[in-house]
Amino acid sequence: MTPRLRLDIEKCYDSFELHVELEVGSEIMVLFGPSGAGKTTTLQAISGLLSPDAGEIEFDGEVFFRRSRPGDRVDLPARHRGVGYVFQGYALFPHLTALENVAFPLRGHKGRGKVEAAELLESMRLQHLAHRYPREMSGGQQQRVALARALAARPGILLLDEPFSAVDRPMRERLQRDLRRLQAELNLVVLCVTHNLEDAFGVGHRLAVVQDGRVQQVGRVDEVLRRPRDLRAAEVVGVSNVFHALVVEASADGLVLDWDGLRLEAPPQHAEVGERVPVYIRPEDIKVLYPDRRVGEALRTNRVTGTVVDHHATGSVASLRVDLSNGREVEVRFPEYTYTPLAISTGGALDLCLRRESIVLLTGPDVAVPPAAV
Amino acid sequence: MIGEALLMSLKVTAVATIAIVVVGLALGLVMARTRFFGKSVIETAILVPLVLPPTVVGYYLLLLLGSGGPLVEWFSLEVVFTWHAAAFASFVVGLPLMVQASKAAIAGVDPILENAARTLGSSEPGVFFRVTLPLARRGVLAGAVLGGARALGEFGATLMVAGNIPGRTQTMPLLIYDAVQRRDYVTANLMVLVMTGLAFFSLWAVRRLGDS
Repeated sequence: MTPRLRLDIEKCYDSFELHVELEVGSEIMVLFGPSGAGKTTTLQAISGLLSPDAGEIEFDGEVFFRRSRPGDRVDLPARHRGVGYVFQGYALFPHLTALENVAFPLRGHKGRGKVEAAELLESMRLQHLAHRYPREMSGGQQQRVALARALAARPGILLLDEPFSAVDRPMRERLQRDLRRLQAELNLVVLCVTHNLEDAFGVGHRLAVVQDGRVQQVGRVDEVLRRPRDLRAAEVVGVSNVFHALVVEASADGLVLDWDGLRLEAPPQHAEVGERVPVYIRPEDIKVLYPDRRVGEALRTNRVTGTVVDHHATGSVASLRVDLSNGREVEVRFPEYTYTPLAISTGGALDLCLRRESIVLLTGPDVAVPPAAV
Repeated sequence: MIGEALLMSLKVTAVATIAIVVVGLALGLVMARTRFFGKSVIETAILVPLVLPPTVVGYYLLLLLGSGGPLVEWFSLEVVFTWHAAAFASFVVGLPLMVQASKAAIAGVDPILENAARTLGSSEPGVFFRVTLPLARRGVLAGAVLGGARALGEFGATLMVAGNIPGRTQTMPLLIYDAVQRRDYVTANLMVLVMTGLAFFSLWAVRRLGDS
């Protein structure tokens, strides 16, 4: 992937320091991280709504912003950057209809503006909304109009801030399909902010984990989720299920770990015998075993029993907190449709398997272990 | 005489209101969207004519416009005892109402909408005229009506800087004062009725703007 947008920017606030380095090509890059991590600030800097203190932003050879030493300063105004921005909450103009909103950036085109806007609405199957005001539309409809408006000015870059947070699931999937199609058709550089893992999976080609004003890791979405580079990245993508274990055996075939009395096998990874290492397993990779069914070959190792401490099902995903036989607690997640047959209740016993292939050692360059995660 | 005063009032009020709208809107925008050192002092200074006795405002205006004042000394402009001075006095007392109303209305417009317009290619004047002003229009209109009504009713400061010269500076409020002095109650009643009607209509219009 050839990078088209390059940024390396710094911005200082009273209690927060942003330093983001990122290269994005013709793709959908998801900026993923907790709120307050600097994701929106990064979008604002790219769009020209906010000036960094230092650094450089360049797109297809054009310098949007540069401030490296005194006297050398480029800061292209937002209106000349050709960056489409779909704001959180959409920011449709409440005094204009959908058609007028989409025609807003096309005003210089005289009478053609309305015609072009109408065509754009039609291509996104929104023509029936043309004469409605934003307050007369649902969240999902407003959002698609906001997307059409951002695209009307034919931007090279499209920025989306939490685009899926206020729409229901079917609409969310439709928007994600639309976005992937538009990205490919228009050859756009797309940056999409989200703090929802499912959305990141649904829409992103690559993922940048942002935390504390820094990009912790960049990579393919599944790669980052399966193999967080270090504890900080793991905290962002998975939050729970980071624990510490002792390396008992290490060979070319794999590792054997001792997690407070629980013996775990893991695939081969770089580790020394006798070392205590941070370990991560995604909640989705802990399997609940049906008591009445035969267990497959892949799930014979790393078996453990536990007691359900807490359980709830939201939408399509069920989530459990389970107290294991070694006294530690883990989070387990699985599809909601298996939830009912398992007849799970608080205090009930469960057989679990921590999939061998999914046990990842978090040995990044700056592993610091916060007490809460141990 | 009545006709002359009516025309004079219309002329003075029209000129004052245009100035009130233009200057008041600009000041309202600055007050709503910027922060700078000494802002609250300047804002208070703009508001002070609302609460000062009209004679005090008139006295300041005489210092500014009269002989020895900067306008005469630096620009050789003699406006005292002309309708220009009456218009200026009306402007000064009407301005605070417009600044307050447009400041509140503009502050109520979400800055994200203005940012959205910027990313869609709007220049700063474009942002103001296509987004901020249309969204703030009710408050701005209300401020313009109130400021204009205040300008129409201006008496004390006008008397001090423009005098009470029939046909040259005499506006309706001054004519009423004159008529009562002369015990010409027919003229006074008629003018009072007209002024009351205009004041009532302005406030009613402002209330309607606020409701819808």
